[in-house]
Amino acid sequence: MQTPFPHRQTAHCESGVIANLLTHHGLPMSEAMAFGIGGGLFFGYLPFIRINGLPLTTFRTTPGGIFNRVTKRLGIGVACKNFKNPDQAMAELDSYLGRGVPVGMQTGVYWLPYFPPALRFHFNAHNMIAFGKKGDDYLISDPVFPEPVVCAASDLARARFAQGALAPKGRMYCITAVPKALDLAPAIRQSIRGVCRSMSAPFPLIGTRGIRFLAGQLERWPARLGDRRAILYLGNLIRMQEEIGTGGGGFRFIFAAFLQEAADVLGESRLLDLSQRMTAVGDLWREFAVAGARHCKGRAGEGEDFGDLARMLRRCGEEEGALLRELASLVR
Amino acid sequence: MLGRMRVAGECEMLDSLEQELSEMIIDTCRVAGPLAAEIAPDAPLIGPDSPYGLDSLDAVEIVVAVQKNYQIRIEAQETSREVLQSLRSLAAYIRSQQN
Repeated sequence: MQTPFPHRQTAHCESGVIANLLTHHGLPMSEAMAFGIGGGLFFGYLPFIRINGLPLTTFRTTPGGIFNRVTKRLGIGVACKNFKNPDQAMAELDSYLGRGVPVGMQTGVYWLPYFPPALRFHFNAHNMIAFGKKGDDYLISDPVFPEPVVCAASDLARARFAQGALAPKGRMYCITAVPKALDLAPAIRQSIRGVCRSMSAPFPLIGTRGIRFLAGQLERWPARLGDRRAILYLGNLIRMQEEIGTGGGGFRFIFAAFLQEAADVLGESRLLDLSQRMTAVGDLWREFAVAGARHCKGRAGEGEDFGDLARMLRRCGEEEGALLRELASLVR
Repeated sequence: MLGRMRVAGECEMLDSLEQELSEMIIDTCRVAGPLAAEIAPDAPLIGPDSPYGLDSLDAVEIVVAVQKNYQIRIEAQETSREVLQSLRSLAAYIRSQQN
């Protein structure tokens, strides 16, 4: 069983999956538009949540949030289901595929054999789509890859029931109903308002306040934690920014592409300028990551100590905050 | 460092862009191992089998070095994972973006 599926490689798996599923259902959408309407841009420094004993920093909204918001804001019907039993989860998948329905799934990257071994890591919120089955192999549209791939049933079952943080619990989802046409403009306005609101929320750990808070913490890490542990914390932050998921800079670039498309849909040319500025903010995040990586590797140059890194981080927050305030004023 | 000994045999030569990229990586990440031309074009760039001995923190620097030297963005980590598989995949990505 196999349904023709419009596979496209994208930068971010969740946005790519929703964009490809909608395109399959006759509603062409770019990854950037899905990310933007899904309100994907976010920042949170959550030191009380520890992964491998190190504080969690997130540069995007919660896993599943983009899918939920895109479908809700565009009036798209979905069916989502979690499972306790892998056999039941695979049987349900087969049932949908037998009816010609492509199915999105949350999986653990580490257990997907089509990923080159060096690129596998323990990340349990990776999204992909099954669109067919040949014998014991599933045909997979994994947005990370340029072409569809094949995955054996036993491997897919293991990936769907990976253990640990963000365990997928067999989660699968599919589109059950779509409107005749997408009315993007109200959804875009709503999503921009949502992103601006969450990034300026009056909580010290999230949004631009969270970036400032993290900068203050980072500056004090060497004194508080000692040099060795401070570098461990910094390395973890850089990895979370540029390795886990799409990366802090990367999400800013996708949001910039969304603003560019939004300018066209809303007929608002000022969004083009903000799009360019958001790209520049993404570059600032990446410069911070590079300086941090150099520090961790013991090859820091002048102007790359913890104080300098904190200043770079504050600048990311300031630029992003100023940009989002202007953005909010355009969609009131 | 693990993987340092896995360098190219005489049968596999780097093309000019791959050679240039290899030199850029050695310079950017201050690799003290093989000569640029000794790396196999398909050898993993990042990870335990990398002949350069690079990890994901080095990957961040390589992404930015590519952006600065070739004016080409590798915009997302999931893309960069694939692009940074080897000198060959990195060179192919740069050529595809230049065209």
